[in-house]
Amino acid sequence: MPTVALPGSPGSPDLPDFAAPAPPPWSAEQDHSLRCVHIRQETHDVKTFVLAPRAPRSFRYLPGQFITLELDIAGRRINRCYTLSSTPTRPDLVSITVKRVPGGPVSNWLHEQLRVGMALDVLGPGGAFSCLAAPAQRYLFLSGGSGITPLMSMTRALHDLGSDADIVFVHCARSPADVLFSDELGLMARHMPHLRLATVCEQQAPGSAYAGHLGRLDAALLARIAPDLQQRDIYTCGPAPFMAAIHAYLSGAGFPMARYRQESFAFESLAQPVATPMPAAGASTAPAHASPRTGAPAYQVRLQKTGHQFDCPAEQTLLQAAIAAGLRLPFSCTSGACGTCKSKKIAGQVRIEHAGGIRQREIDQGWILPCCSKPLSDIVLDR
Amino acid sequence: MTSPCQSLSAPGELVRELLARRRPGYSLEAPFYLSEALYQVDMEHIFGQHWIFVAVEPQIADAGDYITVDLGVDSILIVRDDEMQIRAFHNVCRHRGTRLCASRQGMVGNIVCPYHQWTYDLAGQLIHAKHMSDDFDLRSHGLKPVHVRSLSGLIFICLAEQAPQDFEQMAAEMTPYIAPHQLSQCKVAAQVDLVENCNWKLTMENNRECYHCVGNHPELTISLYEYGFGYKPDALNIGRLQRFEEILAANHKRWEGMGLPSAEIDTLERRVTGFRTQRLPIDRSGQSQTMSTEVASRKLLADFVEPALGGLSFWTQPNSWHHFMSDHTVNFTVLPISATKTLVRSTWCVHKDAIEGVDYSVENLTSVWNATNEQDRRLVEESQIGIASGAYQPGPYSPFTEGLVEKFCNWYVNRLRALVR
Repeated sequence: MPTVALPGSPGSPDLPDFAAPAPPPWSAEQDHSLRCVHIRQETHDVKTFVLAPRAPRSFRYLPGQFITLELDIAGRRINRCYTLSSTPTRPDLVSITVKRVPGGPVSNWLHEQLRVGMALDVLGPGGAFSCLAAPAQRYLFLSGGSGITPLMSMTRALHDLGSDADIVFVHCARSPADVLFSDELGLMARHMPHLRLATVCEQQAPGSAYAGHLGRLDAALLARIAPDLQQRDIYTCGPAPFMAAIHAYLSGAGFPMARYRQESFAFESLAQPVATPMPAAGASTAPAHASPRTGAPAYQVRLQKTGHQFDCPAEQTLLQAAIAAGLRLPFSCTSGACGTCKSKKIAGQVRIEHAGGIRQREIDQGWILPCCSKPLSDIVLDR
Repeated sequence: MTSPCQSLSAPGELVRELLARRRPGYSLEAPFYLSEALYQVDMEHIFGQHWIFVAVEPQIADAGDYITVDLGVDSILIVRDDEMQIRAFHNVCRHRGTRLCASRQGMVGNIVCPYHQWTYDLAGQLIHAKHMSDDFDLRSHGLKPVHVRSLSGLIFICLAEQAPQDFEQMAAEMTPYIAPHQLSQCKVAAQVDLVENCNWKLTMENNRECYHCVGNHPELTISLYEYGFGYKPDALNIGRLQRFEEILAANHKRWEGMGLPSAEIDTLERRVTGFRTQRLPIDRSGQSQTMSTEVASRKLLADFVEPALGGLSFWTQPNSWHHFMSDHTVNFTVLPISATKTLVRSTWCVHKDAIEGVDYSVENLTSVWNATNEQDRRLVEESQIGIASGAYQPGPYSPFTEGLVEKFCNWYVNRLRALVR
């Protein structure tokens, strides 16, 4: 929490009135913009941005979910999703924790331009990567770099709820200077008897007192840190190669992959609508209609060149739906690693959870991987 | 590197005989420039066992950027990974040997073979191979790694199993010289490939002297003092030579005061990873190797207090030379194509925020070295033609102006003597 400032001073959150009944839940559709009330420098290239609603509201979301920032940077509209690093057990504020990526337009803008007091347009929250969506007793949390954010949100929530969940929390970083949230994790571990922490740094930092694991997380080290991983529900978030390596190892080691979940943090940006009208802002997750088969929302996917159309339920990938509709698209790995199915999206919004088969630069230009993209609206592909 | 045709490669006997009878102070015998067998020896022992300069970091500025470089029959893939580290691999799929990336440069997510979509991550690990048996081990089919190091933005690779360890010494000594020019903050403004019809050693020998400059390089000698490369004093030039020595001493004192190391280091003959460096003054305005001698780019490479910083020259054995100025860098890599064909790749870099047409023009930036390269191409091709005739016999080097050529030949002969068995 930021230090108490006088009400009404720039940027300071108006303090909630805890004597009154709880405020209504925040909704992006009603309050499109959030105000930045505090910025924390976590490491030399990671900052946390704390955001508050404009009117008294409480935030409801699953720990691990993301919000979408709608930004205008250098005259270009860019949408970028960031996992909430905050916990829904502290509902007055949300926060995102952002690593500065060399040449990354959004992260550099946030680090250099965003100031306390400024407003941000936000959509969401969304996403299904949350251990509270499928509670278990034993977890293995694997994070690489700023992929720690959803796992931090989940751990903070479990901690605040007095959970005695058995968590092995593994954080991989380039060097001790890049390790995130170690003090807070240590504090939570004092309160949670079954929370164990392991840090893996690729290299030592000059002058650092770090004495944890050195090198890269590999099968042997993982087996030492979590010998009983077969009994744990695994949640992984980090750079695509990191997740791909863990995914490849676990599926090769016979891990029941139904209990493996990963979250990418390279998301879609809104393509400029060309052929079809875009859904209104904020309606990005409004289902077009319900699919007769499951009752879940389904969207319509149209292939511009061939004229084919098919339905894609929200929880299916575009490739699965295309195959189910009897269409042939090129593909190989079906897991977002090889890029064989790469397609240009003419309209619509998807969520991509890839494993390194596509670059953010390509996503920014409107390319997607149908094998690991789920629709958030009706879609038109240049196929 | 083990050459697949080792059994057919040069009879070691003949090579050792040629090495044994090399006359110091004289150019090499004709077979060194003509023979296919000697070319194989060069590829195996010189380009296969030493640190070879191949590229500059701005060529792979972002994660996923790659370049490919051909060293003889070997194609090497150099890529920047998601942690912004540089990695190098043999550009060969572990499935059936297909070349993975056919382009000279491009961008990848993971590295995917176009043939059957075998997919490798940027650490070279195989992460996807469809339709293989259940017991197929992905881990034992990773890409074959190649040693790669960046020296303040200059990318060197080494194909040997054990790379020469004295690269570290060169890096330690050269980093203070090169780092101030901040090559990694640059962009490639131009790159020109020139194929010379000559043996690669003639390209290198020609680079190592300026005896030929005054008669052949009208553009280069506007900015470059020929005295920087050795000179025989005579009554006519003694005054100019003395003046040059004074300019050199005064400038070195000034540049060192700005934190720019300038003094000569020469390990050309002494080390496996031999090199030489010196910051040399530039004539007239003292700024840059351009036709006007003034900077070609208005945006300097760093926070320099002034543009007249001369040119930091850096020469490496066996295949490169470089000039770093206040406003741009120009880097040259020499890669053999065959016994009588050589690629000379010149790369000009300016600050990444410099805007073409506003801060610099490619024409003005490149005109001096484009002209010089073209003149040099003609000179070395004429050498090659003469050496191929029956009348050629090794000729004497000038002790005043060709000392560095002799050092190149000595290094070459001594490395082969040490390696050819």
